[in-house]
Amino acid sequence: MQPIIVDHIQKNFVKTRAVDDVSFAVDNAEIFGLLGPNGAGKTTIIRIILDIFKPDKGTVSILDGPMNEAKKDRIGYLPEERGLYQDIPLDRCLSYLAGLKGLSSSETKLRLSKYLERFELTPHRSKKVKELSKGMQQKAQLIATLIHEPEVIIIDEPFSSLDPVNTQMVKDLLDEERHKGRAIVMCTHQMHQVEELCDRIVLIDRGRAMLYGTLEEVRSRYATQDILVNASAPLPHHIPGVDRIEDINTHKKLILKTGITAQSVLKELVQQNIPIEHFEIALPSLDEIFIRVVTEGTAKA
Amino acid sequence: MKKTLLVFWQEYKRHVIRKRFILMVLSIPALIAVVMVVAILGVFLTQDKRPVGYVDQAGYLAIKQLPARVEFSPEPELQLIPYENEKAATTALNEGAIQAYYILSPEFTETGEGKLVYIKTWNGNLAFQFNRLLRLNLTDSMPPEIANRLMEGEEFVITSLDQTRQMSEDAWGNLIVPFAAGLLIMVIIMTAGGYLLQAVVEEKENRTIEIIITSVSPNQLMTGKILGDIAVGLTQLLVWFGFLAGGYFLVRGSVEWVGQIEISTEYLVLLVLVVIPTFITVAALMAAIGSITTELREAQQISGYFTLPIMAPYWFSYLIMTSPNGPLALILSYFPLTAPVTLTMRAGFTQIPVWQLTINIAELVLLAALSLWLAGKAFRAGMLNYGKRLSLKEIFTRASA
Repeated sequence: MQPIIVDHIQKNFVKTRAVDDVSFAVDNAEIFGLLGPNGAGKTTIIRIILDIFKPDKGTVSILDGPMNEAKKDRIGYLPEERGLYQDIPLDRCLSYLAGLKGLSSSETKLRLSKYLERFELTPHRSKKVKELSKGMQQKAQLIATLIHEPEVIIIDEPFSSLDPVNTQMVKDLLDEERHKGRAIVMCTHQMHQVEELCDRIVLIDRGRAMLYGTLEEVRSRYATQDILVNASAPLPHHIPGVDRIEDINTHKKLILKTGITAQSVLKELVQQNIPIEHFEIALPSLDEIFIRVVTEGTAKA
Repeated sequence: MKKTLLVFWQEYKRHVIRKRFILMVLSIPALIAVVMVVAILGVFLTQDKRPVGYVDQAGYLAIKQLPARVEFSPEPELQLIPYENEKAATTALNEGAIQAYYILSPEFTETGEGKLVYIKTWNGNLAFQFNRLLRLNLTDSMPPEIANRLMEGEEFVITSLDQTRQMSEDAWGNLIVPFAAGLLIMVIIMTAGGYLLQAVVEEKENRTIEIIITSVSPNQLMTGKILGDIAVGLTQLLVWFGFLAGGYFLVRGSVEWVGQIEISTEYLVLLVLVVIPTFITVAALMAAIGSITTELREAQQISGYFTLPIMAPYWFSYLIMTSPNGPLALILSYFPLTAPVTLTMRAGFTQIPVWQLTINIAELVLLAALSLWLAGKAFRAGMLNYGKRLSLKEIFTRASA
């Protein structure tokens, strides 16, 4: 059973189509990237999954069926628009939010202490939330998302306001949750984090799903006829089938002529006795794919 | 249910366990107490406590003395010094031994004329005490019941021909108290409603609402919040009524008009029947406004549209008091927003027919139900609307989204 199945959903707001025929499914024990530029419709999709909005068309299945009140306790949500009660002490605020997720007060006490310790917030537990730094509030918000040990975790920009140390800690935490079998949907603009963490992605632009699949699948789909080569001797200026050679950091990027395959170039290099240390198809980065998809989409529109 | 209680308790704690609330609740009774103490002290310290002289040429004051005062009063008790003649009294007045003197001539009983001589200002309360002493002595030879009646005065019950309006001349405290109680409760309802408004707007402003609505249902949230709001108001009410009751039991033995106060059971029942739906209406409307607006100031401005009509009957207090069954009083009773104050005011001055009360209260209950429904709609439509205020049309179109 896939914990989240989004099936051809559509949502209109007055004259705008915010979501247009989007489908995807999220598996257990995976981090699923929900990507897209600002205003693409990601938050609307999340709100439809969480039953805050009803779709005009299509269906959503969460934890084996439509959303109900009991399922809310099995979902952890970190919204893009962060918010905690500012005028009350941190531990009271988090205990209240944990209570709303159905956690008993004794269990809340126990888990809260552990999380506060892990997030290095124990010395600040009695402080009012407004007295905490932005990063601390972000960590507190993550505690509120995870404290009830949800089966489905939906997090929007989990790394914003975090320094590198805390970013790593959150990454480790998400990885742990994945290993526990949780289904995690992560929205972020930080493509290197997606490349590092996500198993599969869907890229939304103007309300439509433009790309969907594993990272490898997506990157292969956008792979060009270019090759990254690293050799211990200089490459010859002219290699048959190669249009031009570019320097990419320590590598050489070989841009092939139309109709030429990587295998034929490799064969040519071997025949010329070039000592090759590294040879790979130059897959585009997620950043490049993101920009390309969005730019092409804009041009078409 | 558990989550509703959690929301209720959180809402209650957020407002009640706050310095601002505690200060506000305690400051009103404290302020009243301070004003009273200052006023009493002011009277006490500025009063001339010197005795009053008198020249009683016909022995009018020789028989009886005033009984010891039982009521508390900051005014000094009358002390009298008799003088043989006016010359001796004048000398004493000039020397400052007395503050004034009376001359009662032998013809006083025929002419009623006497003389009062003083230098600076004369204390009216001492004159009242002196007049009482004089009447006590003049009526001494009469049968005791007649003498007593003359001393205590008459008490006419003023009533209209159809008996629907009735009041005692002396028991004016019984008119003021329901009037003041109604006002006090309305102030509390408005204040508590204001807290709810603030809480809802704050939850939107600090973006907590998005987490809350993915944890509880809108109904659980609204019920918890409204119940919490009512509990905050009741706490305030209990504290203030506690102080009032304390003050009442403290002074009822010594201040006559306070001792005469009686609040009828019928009035209390009416108060409860009017206050509960009004409380729910105000709380629900405040929650609705909080949901559709984005800033506290804007929300407060809009809430004025319905808090104004609720308090408006006080502008027409005189007309309602003098004509509690008149057309204006009836119209204001039938309009649900002006009904709560009008009914509590009218009940102090007239016997409202049961059929009228039934209709009025049914309207209030209906309005409360309607407000709750509207609040639910507004909340669903406006909870995630951070940018701009929703229009009435949008509340209904978006709530179904």
